[in-house]
Amino acid sequence: MNGLPLPRWRALVAAFVSRCTPPRQVLLAVAVMALLLVPALRQWLTASMWRHMVLQFPLWLVAGALLVAGLSPVARSRIARWNAYGISGLVGAGTVLAVLMVPRVLDLALVSAPLEAAKCTALLLAGAALRLSWKAAGLLVQGFFLGNMLPMTAVVGQLYIDSPLRLCNAYLLDDQARLGAWLVTAAALLALGWLAQVARRMS
Amino acid sequence: MLRTAFLACLVALAGYVSASWLTHDFEVWTAEGARRLEVAQQPVPVPPVSIDGWGIAAERLPTLLAQGGGITLVDFVYTRCQTVCLSLGSSFQQFQAALQADRAAGKSPMVRLLSISFDGAYDSPAVLQAYASKLDADPTVWNWVRVPDTAEQQKLLQRLGVIVIPNGVGDYEHNAAFLVFDAQGRMVRVFDLGEQQLALDYARHLAKGGRL
Repeated sequence: MNGLPLPRWRALVAAFVSRCTPPRQVLLAVAVMALLLVPALRQWLTASMWRHMVLQFPLWLVAGALLVAGLSPVARSRIARWNAYGISGLVGAGTVLAVLMVPRVLDLALVSAPLEAAKCTALLLAGAALRLSWKAAGLLVQGFFLGNMLPMTAVVGQLYIDSPLRLCNAYLLDDQARLGAWLVTAAALLALGWLAQVARRMS
Repeated sequence: MLRTAFLACLVALAGYVSASWLTHDFEVWTAEGARRLEVAQQPVPVPPVSIDGWGIAAERLPTLLAQGGGITLVDFVYTRCQTVCLSLGSSFQQFQAALQADRAAGKSPMVRLLSISFDGAYDSPAVLQAYASKLDADPTVWNWVRVPDTAEQQKLLQRLGVIVIPNGVGDYEHNAAFLVFDAQGRMVRVFDLGEQQLALDYARHLAKGGRL
């Protein structure tokens, strides 16, 4: 099925990761943020409900995660003192993602510039918090975090699929159902990915 | 660990506060719900936009709403609409019948109906009149207007929280509802399409001098 034998594939990933030096990651983060702020692209991303939540949201999270590469070891250890087992970071990221699932956010972000700014900043911070906390969390805390977040995402997704009413004034009903399908799929894929990684580590 | 617990609690608290602000103390989850709650708590005055239409003398919307000192039930429509406006139209036909019955029974209802088009470029007074007569609208009860100036129309829609989006097949999707206006030109309540009787009864109650 896969043309590349597994070791070669892993070597490629390792080579890619080793080339992503911290300065390059920060540069990439800045580039992603600059792109996200381009009005035409922002307009395109938010013109559809599913792109708004399944593309724009994760891109801000990724930018935040990449920015963490710019932190010095001293800064990281200072943060880590307030973030034992990644708990504060994951609580923060989980809170941000949960609040941003309220349908009103999507509508408000389109009409209120301060709310849009707050939304993007929160996603940036959540992305950074996730990266700073993930390894420290270990499987147990990771499992607890995902065990809360993924079912919530799937339930919200199912709600969007099933709702006969438009939950956002700015988006169409079929767009809403498509977003729902995306959310359920994303939650399932993330769960599978994490479980596969757990299985690999355990074996 | 103590510091972590403290920070985690603080973060969770901040999340709770923002969620509570966003949902008006966990009462509403959608922008439409928030709009309806906010209107009920704080009436929204209409901007003094110019209007024209069928069977009206007033030149500005607040003047029209003030005429007769009564209550006005308003809906937003566009005449090319084939879906939800038709159901709004039939609700308004039922309102009209009820209000005509009120009048015939000797009660002065002081409730009027007003359909405002958000497709002012197409819905000229002649088009509105043709559409209104198709629905048997009685001009003494039910008026039809548009806001000819695009910028003013946009201002009106924005102020009242009416959101219109093209649905990709040449029609518009909009948050259709029954809007209740008082004689001071304030939008005092927004009712869902399913709350037809409630909207009418509420308008009658206000017209009789009932409290908001």
